[in-house]
Amino acid sequence: MPGDNTARPLEGLRVFELSIAIAAPSCGRYLLHHGADVFKVESPKNPDVARLFGSAWARDREDIELMGAWLDTGPYVSEMSAGKRSVGLDLKHPDGIAAARRLLAQCDILITNYSAPAVKALGLGYEDARQIRPDLVYVALPGFGTDAGKPYYEYLSWGPNQAPLVGLDELTGYPDQEPSGVATVAPPDYSAGLHGLIAVLAGLAHRDRTGEGTFVDGSQYEATVALLGPFLLDYQLTGRLQTRMGNRQPGSAPEGVYPARGDDRWIAISVTSDDAWGALGRVAGNPPWAGEARFAAAAGRAAHHDELDDLLSGWTAEYSADDLAARLQEAGVPAYAVLDNEALFADPQVRDRRWYQVRPNTRFGRDLFGGNPQRLTGTPGHTATAGPELAEHTVSVLCEVAGMAPEEVENLVKAGAAFTAMQPDLVLQRPYDRYLPVLVPNIEGAS
Amino acid sequence: MSGPLQGTRVIDLAGLPAAYGTMLLAGLGADVVKVEPPAGDSLRRLPPFLDAVEPPENSLWFAYLGQGKRSVVIDYEQAEGRRRLEQLISTADVVVESSAPGTWDGVRQGNPQVVWASVTPFGQTGPRRSWQGSNLVAWASSGVLYVTGFPHSPPVTPAGPVQLACQLAALNTAASVMLALRARAAHPEGKGQLVDISMQECCLAISPETGAPLFLDDLVHRNRLGNRRDVSSPFGLYPCKDGHVSFLVLQPAHWLAMATWIQDVTGNDIFLEETFYDIAMRAQTKDLVDEWTEAVTKEFTKLELFQEGQRRGIPVTPVNTVADLAVDPHLEAVSFFEPTDHPKLGPFLRPGAPFRDNHGWWSLSRAPLLGEHTAEVL
Repeated sequence: MPGDNTARPLEGLRVFELSIAIAAPSCGRYLLHHGADVFKVESPKNPDVARLFGSAWARDREDIELMGAWLDTGPYVSEMSAGKRSVGLDLKHPDGIAAARRLLAQCDILITNYSAPAVKALGLGYEDARQIRPDLVYVALPGFGTDAGKPYYEYLSWGPNQAPLVGLDELTGYPDQEPSGVATVAPPDYSAGLHGLIAVLAGLAHRDRTGEGTFVDGSQYEATVALLGPFLLDYQLTGRLQTRMGNRQPGSAPEGVYPARGDDRWIAISVTSDDAWGALGRVAGNPPWAGEARFAAAAGRAAHHDELDDLLSGWTAEYSADDLAARLQEAGVPAYAVLDNEALFADPQVRDRRWYQVRPNTRFGRDLFGGNPQRLTGTPGHTATAGPELAEHTVSVLCEVAGMAPEEVENLVKAGAAFTAMQPDLVLQRPYDRYLPVLVPNIEGAS
Repeated sequence: MSGPLQGTRVIDLAGLPAAYGTMLLAGLGADVVKVEPPAGDSLRRLPPFLDAVEPPENSLWFAYLGQGKRSVVIDYEQAEGRRRLEQLISTADVVVESSAPGTWDGVRQGNPQVVWASVTPFGQTGPRRSWQGSNLVAWASSGVLYVTGFPHSPPVTPAGPVQLACQLAALNTAASVMLALRARAAHPEGKGQLVDISMQECCLAISPETGAPLFLDDLVHRNRLGNRRDVSSPFGLYPCKDGHVSFLVLQPAHWLAMATWIQDVTGNDIFLEETFYDIAMRAQTKDLVDEWTEAVTKEFTKLELFQEGQRRGIPVTPVNTVADLAVDPHLEAVSFFEPTDHPKLGPFLRPGAPFRDNHGWWSLSRAPLLGEHTAEVL
């Protein structure tokens, strides 16, 4: 669009996404937010786990079929696939894979985190894909890479058990306890998705310069081990082995999580400088411990960290975490209430920066999902719709993008090679839908 | 073959929340100029240190994340230094900094062609934009800290030493810079833009499990569960001869293989009964299933369990230490570690490219000595 200075950087690009769970789906969401048209090619015969989770309230509804509308009810559908178009194809059916290849021929980018053997078996490995589209930017994000000769090539790995493998679980917890692990979130999946995004953008830059396509082999394992560089060097050069150290960081003392008023309420405090220590003492009302000479310098505070933790805990426990954090920040001390999932909506930054968004979709009328941290203020990212129904866009995408005739698509559906949305007339509502205007600022226009 | 960012000049004024990202930009071909004050970058004072080496060249954080960058010393607190820095910025395509919001507004506005990335704890807007942060504070503000750890201990940072919130911010910064460069190339006047990265949001973005949409939908207040999950068994960390292993057994085929393994090792065949195929049934009888899972795991080392479990088709992984990674057979087979040399630190093996491409883009020089490139750049 000549003269338009807010055009998003990926407008006009098409993405073929062959994905499950988080790694490739998160990458696809980033691409979409910045302007790409993303086709999630999926099948009700083997649904993405993000769809299988469904929703607790939907379990008791007799009108919601388990292999039907259920697959659209999970909050992860909008979290992972908001804005994408869902194309229902059975890639193991000869006509299904043929249609997929026609769609791929119209795409600039392919991203996948299917296991490498599975992609190869479908005939969509890079050597096959480049025959269809020579300038394709092809980014594979499997657990252990695409090289069949390597030891873990066929190993089973999902985010929750990649984290222990790459060392993250061992590094999580208090030194006097067994590792508590990263049980709830899966950093390796997102590390792969973000490295995958960077790989796609590098491939596009390469294509702009040379006209050539690109193949990227993005093992989740290697992309996450790469974040441990300093500790790998330390072990190699000195034999020292970094292990878990609770909430402490070198050079910052005291640093930790301290009890606040209420049941299971906590405040995180990082005293990152001597000035911050002085400020903390003033906020605490200058108790005797705040003025002790042995705590004046960072090294002294680090040497007496356990004692300081006890002293601070006696003080913080009297106060509301949020109020105390505000007072500490006012004085220049990094601190924050340890937010639980109920407190997130009320967080002033989350609200003011509109992290949560409500956008229209077919199954619910409207749905809620989280934002994107890549904030380009000149060409702001944008996601126009919430998550798609499984196979919602099969006909429109195969006709408008892949250039098939409507009768052709109809025949595919009859043959079981393609699918359209299931229970298309069933419109649902989230249990909290009517409270949305109170919960999320500025949702007008998203009804 | 040189990387696709060749010809792109990046001025790096930022600390840890962007350092991994500017290293990636360098690995992909950008000319990254690390501007350091006379005392050296803050990363040079972050341990672990190599004790035999004098500061400021002894930090292994800098030895790793400084790779591919050129070091220029400028005392930009002084007027002359400030003039030199502004001169340097006028030649740049990209500036990356992590100062408080507003610090560089004047310089940024004077260089509209520059893609300007600001990485801060809470972003450039909002009532708490001036609040200070840390890795710990970022996790606290995202909802993740609250659910990490054992139920009767205080919340604990995910992989604290790795400072993951900073690494996530750095990844988002690198990606955003590349997006903004693409937007600039398409812009009729070649205008850059401000990129606004908030560490809080970088953590929120990886944690839908603890986010508002999930909570509103099921109204489950998520708590700390320790190192096992209650949705089924075996799921989580289990002790073995030399540490722990991680199981994630949900699918029926994986469970059948697990039940067979229990029988093979202990002789107990009760778990082969059909009633245990149900995920919910194994959640109800979790203590029993966990007990017999441990009867297997305690017989073996984590490497034995990893290899034998995977051979049997069970998603099991070792809880690796950094020492285990250093001798991991897969990383060795893919030549993940590459030899490099450093005038102060000596020769060592460095972690290689985080992904592989068919053009051979990835290339990184060793981390620079303080001010090594001051003369040639200025």
